[in-house]
Amino acid sequence: MGNAASSNKISAQDKAILDLKNQRDKLHQYQKRITVITARETDIAKQCLARGDKQRALLALRRKKYQETLLEKTDAQLAQLEILTSDVEFALVQKDVLFGLQQGTVVLKQIHKEMGGLEAVERLMGESAEAQAYQREVSEMLAGQMSNQDEDEVEDELDALEAEVTGVKTKLPDAPTQALPEGAQKATEETPRERARRRTRDQESSQPAEPMLA
Amino acid sequence: MTSTTTDFPFPPHHSFPPFYTLQPVLSTRTSQLASWSHLIQAYCRHHRLFQLSLRDAADGPLFYNRALGRRLSLKDAREVVEWMASKEGGERAEWVGDKERDRFWVWWRRPEEWAGVIAAWVEATGQKNTVLTLYELTESDATASQEFHGMDPELLQRSLQILVKRGKAQIFGSDDSLGVKFF
Repeated sequence: MGNAASSNKISAQDKAILDLKNQRDKLHQYQKRITVITARETDIAKQCLARGDKQRALLALRRKKYQETLLEKTDAQLAQLEILTSDVEFALVQKDVLFGLQQGTVVLKQIHKEMGGLEAVERLMGESAEAQAYQREVSEMLAGQMSNQDEDEVEDELDALEAEVTGVKTKLPDAPTQALPEGAQKATEETPRERARRRTRDQESSQPAEPMLA
Repeated sequence: MTSTTTDFPFPPHHSFPPFYTLQPVLSTRTSQLASWSHLIQAYCRHHRLFQLSLRDAADGPLFYNRALGRRLSLKDAREVVEWMASKEGGERAEWVGDKERDRFWVWWRRPEEWAGVIAAWVEATGQKNTVLTLYELTESDATASQEFHGMDPELLQRSLQILVKRGKAQIFGSDDSLGVKFF
């Protein structure tokens, strides 16, 4: 992990962990021994019973019981040891994480320093905004030389190109097959020019109302 | 955990009488030695034996086929082991102590191969950079399903030494309570 420098060495912590684990192994061995003993005592009890020696069988079973309580105790101790070992190992991981965080922070700070502080960034952003504004002005001046009609044509061409690229043909609506009702037909017959004329008429008719109020 | 309860299925040539006499013709002899080597390795792998003693094994089912009444003589058995230990036999055996020539390692997996198996297990279980005891490696419940469970401690040390040489592990601690840390 983070401890690159010490990764190939055995640290004091490693030795401590080893001691803990060795202790655990010893308990394991002890448990094995006790398990063997209890099994043997059971055998002895069986043999004694077969011979009709009840006293001795009882004695053997008592010994077995005692060993079993020992076994339970060592189980608890074993659990304690394992918890401690895990805690130590986890603490080591935490240490590594902390180390990693430290390193990361140092690098981050270094990079910030290289960027030259907040003021420099602010200044740069201001300059960049200015440059962009200037560029926009230039574009506007250049674009201003084109008439609206030219712009429209350019846009139409763009649409056509787009349709070609995407392969989608603009689908025209079908012509109506049914006769339209009288009034509606009239409305649709109105050309843009007529509509414009009608609007000016409407405006003129509503205009005189205002001067009269003044 | 040194032996399994199931019987080792002997190959058919184990019941073939001439198998127990080393053949004089070189090519036949080589193939016979190879068969013996293979049989000994398979037998030891099955019973998880790491060392054999020729004297002990002489009356065992491996070298002595009771049903057939045939056995491989001590001298011939020694020759088989010599052949296994040679380059030609793939170095699948090694005498324990050069003088006696009785006990020998059976490398159904050579120490380097064991080192690989252990390293792979450590890698797979994410136990790099953790301290493990040698006892735990071969005896704990955690390795019960692994092939190196119950492995001969000496062989374990040899395999680990190979990892140490490669810089992948470090052994430390006192003699009877050694630990190993993998990198």
